[in-house]
Amino acid sequence: MLGQFKYAVQYVLGLDRAGRHFTVFPDDTFLVSYPKSGNTWVRFLLANLMYPKETVGFANINRLLPAPGVLSKRFLRSLPRPRVMKSHEPFDVRFRKVIYLVRDPRDVAVSEYHFDLKKRYIEADVTLEQFVKRFIAGETSSYGSWWEHAASWIAARQGNPAFLLVRYEDLLADSIGETRKIAEFLGIQSDTERLQAAVERSSADRMRKLEKQQADQWTGTKNTRQEIPFVRAAKSGGWKETLPPQSAEEIEMAWAPLLNFLGYELQSRHLDNTVMPAWVKAGQPL
Amino acid sequence: MIKHLIAGIQRGLGLHRPGRSLLILPDDIFLVSFPKSGNTWTRFLLANLRFPNEPATWANINRLIPDPTGTAKRDFDRLPRPRIIKSHECFDPRYPRVIYIVRDPRDVVLSQYHYHRKIRKLDDESPLEQFVTRFLAGETCPHGSWGQNVATWLYTSEASPRFLLLRYEDLVADTARELTKVATFLQLTAAPEQIALAVERSSADRMRQMEKKQTDKNDLVKGSRKDLSFVRAAGSGGWRSELPAPMVARIEAAWGPLMQRLRYELSTQAPKEARDYEAQGILSGRHL
Repeated sequence: MLGQFKYAVQYVLGLDRAGRHFTVFPDDTFLVSYPKSGNTWVRFLLANLMYPKETVGFANINRLLPAPGVLSKRFLRSLPRPRVMKSHEPFDVRFRKVIYLVRDPRDVAVSEYHFDLKKRYIEADVTLEQFVKRFIAGETSSYGSWWEHAASWIAARQGNPAFLLVRYEDLLADSIGETRKIAEFLGIQSDTERLQAAVERSSADRMRKLEKQQADQWTGTKNTRQEIPFVRAAKSGGWKETLPPQSAEEIEMAWAPLLNFLGYELQSRHLDNTVMPAWVKAGQPL
Repeated sequence: MIKHLIAGIQRGLGLHRPGRSLLILPDDIFLVSFPKSGNTWTRFLLANLRFPNEPATWANINRLIPDPTGTAKRDFDRLPRPRIIKSHECFDPRYPRVIYIVRDPRDVVLSQYHYHRKIRKLDDESPLEQFVTRFLAGETCPHGSWGQNVATWLYTSEASPRFLLLRYEDLVADTARELTKVATFLQLTAAPEQIALAVERSSADRMRQMEKKQTDKNDLVKGSRKDLSFVRAAGSGGWRSELPAPMVARIEAAWGPLMQRLRYELSTQAPKEARDYEAQGILSGRHL
């Protein structure tokens, strides 16, 4: 009851967290991904690209590339338009222009496992094998399973010119080329020097240093286990060393059609021919 | 500002409609569909099955099977659990159990066109062709296009045991059989007599009669044109005589493969992908 009144007061003052409940404008762009898919890295890349004069760090990233999940409605309303925001939401029809960042779920599982340990979302004795089972069932995140997340966006927007699908792995392999694609999608003037500067300022090394200095100034790292870093390996394919083969196979069994569609090579070769149905691949008209 | 203050007070008292901020409980059941796909009829069916002592009417349906955008938060909190909740939203991973109703988009577009005339969103001169264009682009309601709404649910959830797909056309053809499926899915014990009673209490005729008497008791019809009724033909395949062939072709060109997947026979030549799909007999797989 008291909570309800607190909410009412916050609502009147515009201080309630926006979450999913804020006004989306038609000219908004959203950087969307499942958690632990490189979203924070791309936020740094975009912020450095859009605000070359700012020193982008964990302390100001929530302001520069806002996350409606942790900010107030009043703050979101005060932003100059067009806004570029971060989101982990599964398909939301109100988001007209979307950069969808996707990452190999076998790496996502490992990354989320470490993050959940850092955040104390899971007990220190939970094994990776146990975690992966819950990860596949969508029980480790309030945004649904990796499959549900990627499938909802792809089924709704595949083929739409206002939907840019970016693979984390491609961004690692060719940071400048992929950032250029994103810049063009956003209509940001993008000569190679500017792209290069943004990529350098968002490097894993630099982000690690910033994390050490500003961990207590960002919602993602505040009050978490400081011996586990937020910026980890920043690599792709790490699952081959860390993920038990049995767990990798469970993920492949569950999600083969989408893994094949996204070009993530499977260890279980017998699943190679498992393809996405044509009614999804055909995409949505506009 | 005053409006905002009033909204704040309503929140304090739980009188606001929760919309997307509805607190979802782990045993909630959602009855989901794109608009104009038989959702209201199914709400009556489910209400009559679940609450046999309180026959569903236009006046009580928002309380029995609440709508997050049409029922006050307070009424949600008072409902016996498990709650059955109506929704038109695209895929939402928070919904614990989902009954999804799908209907042939060629009928849906006609139904929505009529409904928008009834609620005065369209005047009588407004051409159907223009409406079809907006319908295809997902601009006729805030729940995405028909294709987006259906595809997001189907592709994410069709293999899940917590998801039940119903075709409106099957529901029309054999209401008792389909309602029995729903009862099983909800783990409700329902004898054939109980099913038959629920079907009878939710018949189109009965809903039409009640609509005439209770038209001011429900937001779906309140203040709308009285010369057009909410409960219309309550049938399937009306598009064959009412929807001009070029518009049929546009809908089939947009969503042909998805329509075929749902066993809606195409009248135009199937797009290539649809033929491939049929030839391969592929099902999407989430093998849980």
